[in-house]
Amino acid sequence: MAAVDADSLRGPGLLERLRPGRTARRLMRNRAFVLGAILLTVVAVVTLLAPWISPSDPNRMAVRFRFREPSWEYPFGTDNLGRNMVSRVLWGGRLSLEIGLWVVMLNAVFGVMLGAVSGYFRRLDGLLMRVADALMAFPSVLLAIGIAAALGPSVTTVVIALAVVYIPRTARVLRASVLVVRELDYVQAARACGASDLRILLRHVLPNCMAPLIVQLSFVFAYAVLSEAVLSFLGLGAPPTTPSWGILIAEGRSYIREATWLTAIPGAAIAVTVLGLNLLGDGLRDVLDPRLKVDAR
Amino acid sequence: MITIRTIASRAVLGGLAATLMAGTALAQASQCGRKGGDLTFALEARVPGLDQHASNSSATRNVAMNMFETLVTRDENMIPVLELAESMDQSADGLTYTFKLRQGITFHNGKAMTSADVAASFQRYSKIGVDRSILEPVDKWETPDANTFVLKLKEARPTFIEQLSAFTVPVVIIPAENVDAAAGQLPVVGTGPFQLDEFKPDSHVKLKRFAGYKPDTRHTAISGFGGNKEACLDTVTFRMMTEPAARTAALEVGEIQGVEDVPVASQKRLAGSKDIKLTRLELFTMNVAYPNASFPPTDNPKVRQAILAAMDFEEIMDAASDGQYKLNKGFQFPGMNYYSESGAENLNQKNKDKAKKLLAEAGYKGEKVTLLTNREFPYMYNTSLVMAEQLKAAGINAELLVLDWPAALQKSIKETEGWNFFYTGWITVIALGGPQTMRQMAAPNYVWKPKEPDAEFQAAFQTLAGGKTLDERKAAFAKAQARALDQVMAIPFGAMPKTQAVRANVEGFKAYYIPRMSGVWLKS
Amino acid sequence: MARYTLKRLLQMIPLLLLVSLISFGLIKLVPGDPAVVMGGSNATPAEIEVIRRNLGLDQPLWQQLLSFYANLARGDLGRSLLLGQPVMEALVERTPVTLWISLYSLILTVVVGLVTGIVAALRHNTWVDQAVSILALIGVSLPNFWLGLMMIVLFSVWLGWLPTGGYVAPSTSLVGFLQTATMPALSLALLQIGLLTRITRSTMLDVLGQDYIRTARAKGLPETVVVLKHALANVMIPVVTVIGLILSVLLSGSVIIETIFSVPGIGSLLGNAILRRDYPMIQGGLLFVAAALMLLNIVVDVLYGVFDPRVRVDGRG
Repeated sequence: MAAVDADSLRGPGLLERLRPGRTARRLMRNRAFVLGAILLTVVAVVTLLAPWISPSDPNRMAVRFRFREPSWEYPFGTDNLGRNMVSRVLWGGRLSLEIGLWVVMLNAVFGVMLGAVSGYFRRLDGLLMRVADALMAFPSVLLAIGIAAALGPSVTTVVIALAVVYIPRTARVLRASVLVVRELDYVQAARACGASDLRILLRHVLPNCMAPLIVQLSFVFAYAVLSEAVLSFLGLGAPPTTPSWGILIAEGRSYIREATWLTAIPGAAIAVTVLGLNLLGDGLRDVLDPRLKVDAR
Repeated sequence: MITIRTIASRAVLGGLAATLMAGTALAQASQCGRKGGDLTFALEARVPGLDQHASNSSATRNVAMNMFETLVTRDENMIPVLELAESMDQSADGLTYTFKLRQGITFHNGKAMTSADVAASFQRYSKIGVDRSILEPVDKWETPDANTFVLKLKEARPTFIEQLSAFTVPVVIIPAENVDAAAGQLPVVGTGPFQLDEFKPDSHVKLKRFAGYKPDTRHTAISGFGGNKEACLDTVTFRMMTEPAARTAALEVGEIQGVEDVPVASQKRLAGSKDIKLTRLELFTMNVAYPNASFPPTDNPKVRQAILAAMDFEEIMDAASDGQYKLNKGFQFPGMNYYSESGAENLNQKNKDKAKKLLAEAGYKGEKVTLLTNREFPYMYNTSLVMAEQLKAAGINAELLVLDWPAALQKSIKETEGWNFFYTGWITVIALGGPQTMRQMAAPNYVWKPKEPDAEFQAAFQTLAGGKTLDERKAAFAKAQARALDQVMAIPFGAMPKTQAVRANVEGFKAYYIPRMSGVWLKS
Repeated sequence: MARYTLKRLLQMIPLLLLVSLISFGLIKLVPGDPAVVMGGSNATPAEIEVIRRNLGLDQPLWQQLLSFYANLARGDLGRSLLLGQPVMEALVERTPVTLWISLYSLILTVVVGLVTGIVAALRHNTWVDQAVSILALIGVSLPNFWLGLMMIVLFSVWLGWLPTGGYVAPSTSLVGFLQTATMPALSLALLQIGLLTRITRSTMLDVLGQDYIRTARAKGLPETVVVLKHALANVMIPVVTVIGLILSVLLSGSVIIETIFSVPGIGSLLGNAILRRDYPMIQGGLLFVAAALMLLNIVVDVLYGVFDPRVRVDGRG
């Protein structure tokens, strides 16, 4: 939300083509990026392996064992139906990350498409950006719960709702970059040589807009994970048969006094994941965006 | 026309007769150990407005019924009792009810209540009242004098007073000048012991003592929604606190003096605190699921019977109530007039083999059984969750469909496809007695959406609704219940309590369907 | 500047039309008829039909939309189905609540965010800088509603310092306001504080590396003067930006935070309206909020021009 907007206002930074080898070396020297990557890798591996490392089925109930405090036997305790919270947190992470990834992918595709079209073909710009403005005029949570309520609770719904909220923002970031790049000499030169618009866009313009896009997407991922939790908390998220972290917090809220772990642990899991994503995004921005180099020393 | 002085002959109104006879001579001793003080009470839900005619929300009732009163209402044991009426005479043909009004009753605006106000209230209710179908047997009403209100029915309806006194959406008496107030816009002016001071939606409702209140001296104390009410407190503030943990915490630190609903998980700790008193209504919510008999595979009674046979109610209730429940043998609670255990053998069978056999007979081939549920009411969600597991264990392909409450409710009412079981809680439906309960499963309401009416059940229901004597109606109830459980029209899993709590210095507070603030006082 | 402002104001009109169309389309897509919700679980289909008719929900869509605009032209946003009060009245009643909490949150954000950001920049590459950076990062990574719940457990349940919820207007009692509004404002502010700290820090570092700062230092000006006079002026640009964005974000956050803390503000009003299918409230409320945010953006852009003459032509790029 705000970070995305604030960053987009800084305008496009990097106008050079990504050079994978050099960039990778610089990234590996960036502490924020490395720490973020480590955190995310741990979270991703652990949640991906959930089917194999979970001590039990996340939905298996054992009512007699409910409200067990965290212990050796149940490291994260058990919930009101005696379900093992380790399993639920692991599986919940899978869903939360999956939703985040889908939102990022939709943002990458549609944000780039709309941003590029809007920035490059100025005639469509007015209309597209007005629609984007209108969508951005709603407070993001209200728009998301509106869409989620309209489509009914499902994983797809959450993905669509969050995509609709963040695509206009991604499109704006990309458009801003395209606006600058399309005026550059070599793009003008390509045009003078009679290259087609599509070719110019794909070969010359877009590759030079990748850096701000990647940075933006890392933040979209972070916000998607947070917003999924908000929607689930309000009862508009994914159906709770496969738990997400937001659903776990929502389910635990009634017992927050007696069984604080039910809310504290999934919340902490979200925090660690989002922290990892933010670190990763910071690192990427430091390295890819020379305007902020001063930050990356 | 033969006039019966009281309607004591009807067993169901026995309580009414007793109170009428007991009345008259009672001295007016104050129920308040101390007058004055301010009390804050936390509600679990938002109050959507205070128009008692137009809202069936329990949050509205919780607050509004401290300010409004009716002609006839229900007492502590859910038996009809006179409130604003001094007397009620029923003609021998059962067609005419004549109410004499109590004298000296004034509204919160200072005007005296007359029969014109009563007529206006009935007029408004018949137009916009949520439960206006209860006035459906009424042909017309008359006001022969300022003190008398006469209801004329189209046909005799022995259960009419039971319906009229129902507290789901009561026909509260309002001043005649508010007769045209649109739904949801009723000025909050009633005759009750408290009057409205301030209503801040989504925040709180503040009530203050009504100085001009005239208590019903026929009783010694409050009884149900009626009885002898006396406001001891200067003000009562109902605060809307939707976060359960916050509600309990606020009570513990003394920020508020009472709460509407204490989570089971917190009760043990609160019970151990000497600052807090717990009061409990043991049999409050009936945890219910009902099928959709229009949509395969639950259109087949054998499949429904198989599902019922497969279930372990203890496990379901344990999960639904966090362990605080009572299994039940039918659609009424023990001690109620219509209570019957007929058909109870169908409940809590835990018989997977029988289920499998019935499924085989039904020709069930793994069709999906969709359990339509919601997360806003955790007990409904947990019920569906455990039920799904039990059905799967019996070889039934159960699947949850979780919508938010408005969407789920709409689907269950309007759509005959896409769902097989719906979950809800019956509170007033049960409390109001046998006919009200069975009405849910009868034409034209049919929560279970049969393709055609069930003749046997309908016949029993007709007698239940129109039978002349209580015994006749009780027998009909037993028959209807046996049929409903055999054909699985609805599944009463069991009863869950309502636990309210107040600070130790709050006296006179008793658990009831609404938090009644009359007779409640604060020890200094 | 007056012409620019006027132009921006005129641009709002088609945008608001689009906003109202989107919200109208949205509420018509949402399953769950308000009539069914109002009728309750015991209502018969016939009763629900009557409620629908009373609400005007039986009319064709275009007619509902037209009558919405016709009423809007008269300044009438209709009547809330849930509260029974006019939408406009409800909005006017609730707006100050959210604004006061937002203002509180904003003050927390600006004070804490600026101070920590500047301190971190001045102590660049020391442990102070690193601690601030890490805390700021954690701030932007915590789910705010979870933080709110955890604060209730800590401050209300365990420590008993603050009430669990509710709202007291500052005009009624300033102490009461601070008691009730501190946790909601803090939950809302944390993300913004983290954000502003980070932006202030990096802008500060940027500015401190600029030639004119070096010149100022070379002239022997005391460090405080350098920082306060020269550097701070430039830091104000991102601050204004964040303030412009913050209200939108605070409104978003208030949907859930106000619910948790039982605050009768605009966020809980609209969030609940959507959850309970209060059509007129959704429609009118979203329009109102969108218009307010747009106006705020214009104000910010104009202010932007004041701080940075380069962006005057078209602040939004």
